[in-house]
Amino acid sequence: MTRFISKKDLITWLEKLIQERILIAPTTKNGLLLFQPVSEVEDIVLDFQNTELSPKECFFSATETLFAVKREDGRTELVPATVDRDTVLFGLHPCDAMGMAINDKPFLAEPADTLYGQHRARTTLIGLPCSKPTTECFCTSMGGGPHDPTHLDVLLTEAEDGYIVQAVTGKGEEILPSSVVEREIVSPPPPSVEPVPAAGISEVMERVFEAPYWSRLADRCIHCNICAYVCPTCYCFDVRDYANGGRIERVRSWESCQSPGFTRIAGGYDPRSSKGARLRQRFYHKLRYFPQEFGALGCVGCGRCIRACPVNIDIREVISDVQKLGAKIGT
Amino acid sequence: MAVEYQPRMVGFLCNWCSYAGADMAGTSRMTYPPNIRIIRVPCSGRVDPLLVMKSFEQGADGVLVSGCHPGDCHYTEGNYHARRRFALLRSLLDFLGIEKERLRVEWVSASEGGRFKELVSSFTEELQRLGPRSEVSP
Amino acid sequence: MRQELGQQIGEKARELLSSGVVECVIGYERATDGVTARPLFVYGVEDVDRLIFDDTCIHNLTRYLLNRRDKNTAVVAKPCDSRAINLLLNEKQIEREKVFIIGVACQGVVETRWNQAGETLQARCQLCSQHTPVVYDFLVGEAPPEQPPPEAYADVLEMEARSAAEREAFWQEQFDRCIRCYACRQVCPGCYCSECFVEQLDPLWVGIRIAPAENQIWNTIRAFHLVGRCIGCNECERVCPLNIPLSLLNRKLEKEVWELFGFQAGMSAEAVPPFATFEKEEKLGIGE
Repeated sequence: MTRFISKKDLITWLEKLIQERILIAPTTKNGLLLFQPVSEVEDIVLDFQNTELSPKECFFSATETLFAVKREDGRTELVPATVDRDTVLFGLHPCDAMGMAINDKPFLAEPADTLYGQHRARTTLIGLPCSKPTTECFCTSMGGGPHDPTHLDVLLTEAEDGYIVQAVTGKGEEILPSSVVEREIVSPPPPSVEPVPAAGISEVMERVFEAPYWSRLADRCIHCNICAYVCPTCYCFDVRDYANGGRIERVRSWESCQSPGFTRIAGGYDPRSSKGARLRQRFYHKLRYFPQEFGALGCVGCGRCIRACPVNIDIREVISDVQKLGAKIGT
Repeated sequence: MAVEYQPRMVGFLCNWCSYAGADMAGTSRMTYPPNIRIIRVPCSGRVDPLLVMKSFEQGADGVLVSGCHPGDCHYTEGNYHARRRFALLRSLLDFLGIEKERLRVEWVSASEGGRFKELVSSFTEELQRLGPRSEVSP
Repeated sequence: MRQELGQQIGEKARELLSSGVVECVIGYERATDGVTARPLFVYGVEDVDRLIFDDTCIHNLTRYLLNRRDKNTAVVAKPCDSRAINLLLNEKQIEREKVFIIGVACQGVVETRWNQAGETLQARCQLCSQHTPVVYDFLVGEAPPEQPPPEAYADVLEMEARSAAEREAFWQEQFDRCIRCYACRQVCPGCYCSECFVEQLDPLWVGIRIAPAENQIWNTIRAFHLVGRCIGCNECERVCPLNIPLSLLNRKLEKEVWELFGFQAGMSAEAVPPFATFEKEEKLGIGE
């Protein structure tokens, strides 16, 4: 027996969730499909390939205040930002959930990022399997899969006139409505995803660091931050203090290793000043340094950077080029 | 009596003419609305459009850029360049929905204390007529 | 025809590379989606066969000349792109004798997205009347017959006709979604400051926040820094991942510059740009 919810009951459930919590789901605005807070169930897009930006924004905002400084009677107090409302992130695909699990590693490793931790703790992830992977998707090569429920709280798979309900975690179990019933139903098989030769990539990367390949690849790169900002696992940021009208606060905003001043240090020296070195860093962080430190590749294969890149820097091509290069260089 | 809306204005005045003109208004005991905050700059040609945008961002309702009359620039041609630059910036601001009346560029000489007083008064009235700028949330 | 263009470019590239006239040829090749094009840097004759040219070759490659200032380089340039070469020559950013321009007489390019090439020409191409590059050393292709250009600023006029409040609301909504990825800047041949105002720390003009107030300053000043300099290649709008209509701003300023000063950027390498000169007696609605 499988647990099941009808389409009608799903809508009622979502309506209830909108009342009780913040519901973030894919919606279309200005022709762009983005994860945004919704107030009407009918605005939610259920059948989609990938959103333009990843849902990492729900936990690691493009800009957020980390703490404010309060001054009173000669005393100075730091008031940390808190997350005071529960959120449901609805409709994310398994690759995006895996992206979150990857970001958990750096953010929640001790000393943990408390604001990120709060966002995570107060958000429930209700996922939809990916039924139509794009041509640029390669999740299966990165350890995920279009129907993989692992990093979600609930997975809803469309079947017949409703959805098969899979509560993956206790948090997911808690949020389920009573309209979920038991039914004899077979879940559809996952679609196939084009593979990339990622096996052993991390070790091969070690051998090709000095290859002229990287500066040649950077010829084409315009060094914007698009790839980093659409990526579900890019987590670099900048921090600065703001003072305005007596209010002092520390703010964090997205940054990217492709920015010219990203690694510039006091005195003006920049250890990664060449464009080739900056572009190389992007791939080394994902395919070499991150696995070294956290034991998993820092890419989920969602294909967003491939689609959004203005000059077609394609990580699939980079992976296969690196494999060829590594084979040529030898061990 | 209701308190009238008091606009906030930033004035970038050139050191050689307009700042001296404002000084003249002061030493002649002329009164004009206290809504303007004056910043002295070497020349109207030094006023970067960024200074204007930054003023608006920080909550200014209006910005005044003022320099020597054409032909009188201490640096010969700074104000001619300012004239071209701000003509375009005003069009751009207007296109973005920031009324072009909010950016005024005027020529005031060192002896025109009365003119400076008139200018600040009429600009204040104009901004009162336009009302506060709509908030751009931070 | 299209295949022919790619071949002609390839042959010229082979000649230039083998004779040592240039060290690198910047052109186009097929992207990994098999549909669109991407920039290609050819350093050796073995790669010249990868060169293509068709209506998906939308990139303005002249931006890359700024990365190769001291090296002899050939570049494939459409008419709009060629205006950027004049801009860069005028601003003393590149040397004419170090650049070999393979001009392409252009019939227009199509709207492309990843894995998709449109059927119809880009809006700007439909309005374009410059079908032959303004500067080139070698020309391939054939320009279509001249036609009177249609009204080029319909959308600008439409926006001007709206109320200030409507315009403000419109742009606020557009700028609010900016994520400050700076792709518009990075792709622009006119945006080459070694340190952009937006990244300067002293003075700190714009903070790091990706938020409406900062976004507005960034987008306004970006457009303003291109007054009399924007050559209309529309690359900024193409690369914007959030579809902000940047060309509407650029063309508003282009229109103003044309009406006030009769100037069009990049038409000649010698013409003095409007902000580098002035007329003593001109009336611009300021201080009058």
